[in-house]
Amino acid sequence: MKLRNAPVGLVIAASLVIASHADAHKLREKGVKVAVADSALSVTPTRDWNRLTGKPGKNAETWTLDGGQLNDITFYGAVPSGSPLVKERSKKKEPLPKFTSKTLLVEIPELLEGTYRAYKGIGLFRVVSIEPASFLDQDGVRFTYEFTDTDGLTRKGEATAAIVKGELYMITFDAPRLHYFDRSIGDFRALVASAKIG
Amino acid sequence: MIARAAMTACLMSAFAGAASAQVAPVPPPYVSAYQPQGIDEIGLWREYDESERRLAASALVVRDAKLTGYLKQVLCRTVGDDRCNAVRVYVIREPIPNASMAPNGTMRVHSGMLLRIRSEAELGALLGHEFGHYEQRHGLNKFKARRTGTDIIAWAGLLASMASTYDTARTYHDLKVSVYGDLFRYSRNLEREADLLSIGYLNSSTLKPQAASRVWVNMMAEAEASARAKGLKKPNFEAIAFSASHPPDAERAAYLSALAEPTAVTRDDGAAQYAEALKDWLPIFLDDQIKLNDFGASEFIILSLADSGWTAPLWLGRAELYRARGHPRDLVNAADFYRSALDLDPALVTAYRGLGLALMKMDQASEATVALRRYLELRPDASDAGMIRMMLPKEGTSN
Repeated sequence: MKLRNAPVGLVIAASLVIASHADAHKLREKGVKVAVADSALSVTPTRDWNRLTGKPGKNAETWTLDGGQLNDITFYGAVPSGSPLVKERSKKKEPLPKFTSKTLLVEIPELLEGTYRAYKGIGLFRVVSIEPASFLDQDGVRFTYEFTDTDGLTRKGEATAAIVKGELYMITFDAPRLHYFDRSIGDFRALVASAKIG
Repeated sequence: MIARAAMTACLMSAFAGAASAQVAPVPPPYVSAYQPQGIDEIGLWREYDESERRLAASALVVRDAKLTGYLKQVLCRTVGDDRCNAVRVYVIREPIPNASMAPNGTMRVHSGMLLRIRSEAELGALLGHEFGHYEQRHGLNKFKARRTGTDIIAWAGLLASMASTYDTARTYHDLKVSVYGDLFRYSRNLEREADLLSIGYLNSSTLKPQAASRVWVNMMAEAEASARAKGLKKPNFEAIAFSASHPPDAERAAYLSALAEPTAVTRDDGAAQYAEALKDWLPIFLDDQIKLNDFGASEFIILSLADSGWTAPLWLGRAELYRARGHPRDLVNAADFYRSALDLDPALVTAYRGLGLALMKMDQASEATVALRRYLELRPDASDAGMIRMMLPKEGTSN
């Protein structure tokens, strides 16, 4: 998930600082299995990806090809009960919806929708389809959605999720409806198919 | 220029003696088809023309000619037919309550604002306020004030660097604070001027000017409800932050009420017409609000809409709000609210889904199954039908 409101100056300053830093954006190479979102979740990419340094949340990690606004894959790994998907701007003033032990698989699209709507303050978000899927050797859910961000651009998204031992695992892909979504959806699905715990 | 001086004089007298409760004056004479004058204004209009071109193609604009036409009609009733023709109204699908006016006559009204308005008179007050900015060319004045202010700071900075003593540094810092403070104060005064004009229009129209202050009274009550649900302190509606662009809500509610023509209190506020014109959109805008995860504010809006009677979409909205928060106590309430919605409208398919999911989470599987089966019967091709089917026990087995 793209952090929309990060002040531009801060981003520039941060990128200058990290340019020489060992922990800058990292290349995730084709065929090399790698753990994501500081969790037991791991994937083996079928092509090279860039991992962005800024983590959207404690249990999340973002990969991209051309930049977060054009293609954004976010891994949510082992989100525990009572936690939001991404870091809240203000826990007290702007709380985000939480994943709980009571959350049903069919409600996960609502959780992502609520998170996007509340975080971005947008009104145009539509879940297009929700269907059962097998993910991480479990019963899971695959869903597609469409939303218009405050930049006026309409993006399509697809996500696959499962609840493993009371914790949420999910991989999402967001990209502009025009060109970018269709171009990389195949790479995203290959990535999801390679996902494993451990 | 004379009109401007007279306007300022009115403003001063209106706000200096708020206690004297002087009503807002009749708006100044209006010349239609105003064209931008001078290089600054021409440039500014060009920029906004470009921004309007982009807006017209944006997915965020609500494309409903009936709704936009209705807003335009209320604007015309408020400011008069000669004035309102200069304006293009756009409804933007954004749940945060806001409205704005560009110097070239582009008016943007957020869907979140329409959700919070209850009558034609309140809408007229809002649209009249935005039109006031346009009529008095506030956009241009603000641009010029900002340019002058930042020029002063830039030149003073250069001069201060030539005489680098602690005294000059301190004086320069004081100057900066004073210039910025002045710019924010100027912005608040422009808002007061637009408020004064909006009540002036309403006083001379057939709408009830007293409604204007209700918008702010409701906004304060909503902010309080939101803070209470989050366990925060009650917001201070009197305080003026250094960088506040608008006067505080309590001040606005007070002077808007004082400026209204007292004899106009008997006029109709057009609440029924407003509700009728927005009836297709309100459930959608309400849904956008509910999904913002602001429990206190959403509950306040639902209850205030229910003042004129509970409807099935209102019960459904409230049920979804409670199910989304999802504490065990919320689920009990949510199930009740879904049932109330279904009592009023048995064809409200999504209420069966919500009821089923809420019951499922309350470990009442057999009742949940009944509700979810009903959902699938009524909408077999629902986008989540496959998922819901998976949750049901196989046919022929007991649960």
